[in-house]
Amino acid sequence: MLTDREIISTLEMLQSEHLDVRTVTLGISLLDCASHDLSKLKNKIRTRITHFAEKLVPVCDQIGQKYGIPVVNKRIAVSPVAVVGAALTSSQLVDVAQTLNAVAEMVNVDFIGGFSALVEKGMARGDRALIEAIPHALTATERLCASVNVASTRAGINMDAVLLMGKTIKKAAEMTAAQDGIACAKLCVFANIPEDIPFMAGAYLGIGEADAVINVGVSGPGVVKKAIDRALESNPDLDLGQISELIKKTAYKVTRIGELIGREVADSLKIRFGVVDLSLAPTPNVGDSVGEIFQSLGLLSIGVPGTTAALALLNDAVKKGGAFASSRVGGLSGAFIPVSEDLNISEAARQGHLCLEKLEAITSVCSVGLDMVALPGETSAETIAGIIADEMAIGVINHKTTATRLIPVPGKKAGESAHFGGLLGQSTIVAVNNATGSNRFITHGGIIPAPIHSLTN
Amino acid sequence: MRKVILSVLGHDRPGIVAAVSRILLEKDCNIENVSQTILQTQFAGIFIVSLPEDLALGRLRTSLEDGLRSLNLHVHVKPLASQTTTSPPVPNEPFVITTQGPDRKGLVAGITEIIAAYGANITNLQAVFKGGDDPGDNIMIYEVDIPTDIDQQCLYRDLRQRAESLALDISIQHRNIFEALNRI
Repeated sequence: MLTDREIISTLEMLQSEHLDVRTVTLGISLLDCASHDLSKLKNKIRTRITHFAEKLVPVCDQIGQKYGIPVVNKRIAVSPVAVVGAALTSSQLVDVAQTLNAVAEMVNVDFIGGFSALVEKGMARGDRALIEAIPHALTATERLCASVNVASTRAGINMDAVLLMGKTIKKAAEMTAAQDGIACAKLCVFANIPEDIPFMAGAYLGIGEADAVINVGVSGPGVVKKAIDRALESNPDLDLGQISELIKKTAYKVTRIGELIGREVADSLKIRFGVVDLSLAPTPNVGDSVGEIFQSLGLLSIGVPGTTAALALLNDAVKKGGAFASSRVGGLSGAFIPVSEDLNISEAARQGHLCLEKLEAITSVCSVGLDMVALPGETSAETIAGIIADEMAIGVINHKTTATRLIPVPGKKAGESAHFGGLLGQSTIVAVNNATGSNRFITHGGIIPAPIHSLTN
Repeated sequence: MRKVILSVLGHDRPGIVAAVSRILLEKDCNIENVSQTILQTQFAGIFIVSLPEDLALGRLRTSLEDGLRSLNLHVHVKPLASQTTTSPPVPNEPFVITTQGPDRKGLVAGITEIIAAYGANITNLQAVFKGGDDPGDNIMIYEVDIPTDIDQQCLYRDLRQRAESLALDISIQHRNIFEALNRI
């Protein structure tokens, strides 16, 4: 028998605290679709994806209804296209991108990820072709997401790839200048990219994965904030250890929901269940913000002194709660700080509480990195590459995933506003300080060696 | 073995279950199941009890009535039908239907009419109507077993329409979600 308290608290989480399953992401291997013949490759991709994914959306909707928990997004992640299409030219890969976009539309998923390359130790011919194709591919499609892993703790940082990505981001922004460079909002540059991320824009299906797998992304920043608010209302003297315990318990609950829904979707589709990724991922809705959690914790705003410590507490408690709730926790699992996608964080940038330097500092303890950060359009490719290299270094040295999703907004300056629309939101463009002059360090190229694994200080 | 079901109703106070169970022990009866609840100030308890061969039903009833008179409790005793007469269980899945909204007459009747029409069985019901605007003060929680062979979409639709006509917010969710969320 359930208690009325169990039922009412569950309903509150669902109805007024924005608890949902943020995404069910179906990973599909395309490795055996590889072909020199573009037309054959495209046909195989279409057949493979529709075979696995045609029932994804109706099954998610049906199971969401059964449990009264909406599965907000249904997505697909495929094998790195740089591997699948290694034999193709850059323009042929743009054709593949359009095919992926069309199949995504056909099976009614909102994003398809995997226009990706893994180049942390060096770039093969297919990788170069894919990176060259990225600006065109992301301009010609709406639902396609791209990612490039340029660094890892075991390989170091491929600075040639970092510089190439700086140039690629500039080009992608210029090609979508009328939409404030929106192509860059679908492009992530990674260090230590996990093979099972369900969240976009970084989702792809790792080379070590099975034919098909269901990964689930759960969120719930609103639930965490309300739990903190309620606890502090009844006892304002809670210390940070007690608050951490509370966040842990809340993260546990949210993860359990993800696992329940994910396993049932996987069973219904007869596909292996992969991981639950519990990441506090905001949307541009009031009450669904990671930034608001900082204020609940007692900070004036995200960005003020104390922010990094608060985020460290938050991220660690989320991971601990998630790890206890499920033995299949994976992906990124932590707190996202996507500036434009979170009303509160975006406002902190507008008011000047949050600058690029502070954002970079907090990525040393958050789940990903410089995410959805709008930069002045005049920011050079070398400067963007420098920002990427700094972010990659944080990931490589600290054995963690870091990433950038930077948007140099064409024709706009720091302090102006960039609009991306929908889930991608809008943001004040943040200044890039001390970026004058040439950056010879970046243009040296080569590999920054992998770090030593002892003498850790 | 003969079994009886007995219900005990009356104003709640300490010692009711102790009094009932002492009388049953004295009569060499064995309690197989018991459930009790308190609604506002009133106690309600249901006991399924197996009887020794030589104990007449009337004697047990008299002992309970005499023994519980001082506590001002009402006792009803009824022989339990043999299980062989029950129909085989229908395949079903457990759901929780929750409604919240202002109190008025006919809420329970309105919702249960739909539940019954689809052959769904209520296994637990908690309802509180305190009046006022706080949704938590006016809530009905039905745990129901919904047959798997009915058109669940039609049931959902009919329940939602009925809830709307009664100015209620309604949630219909599989029971597993509450267990996954609240229990380790």
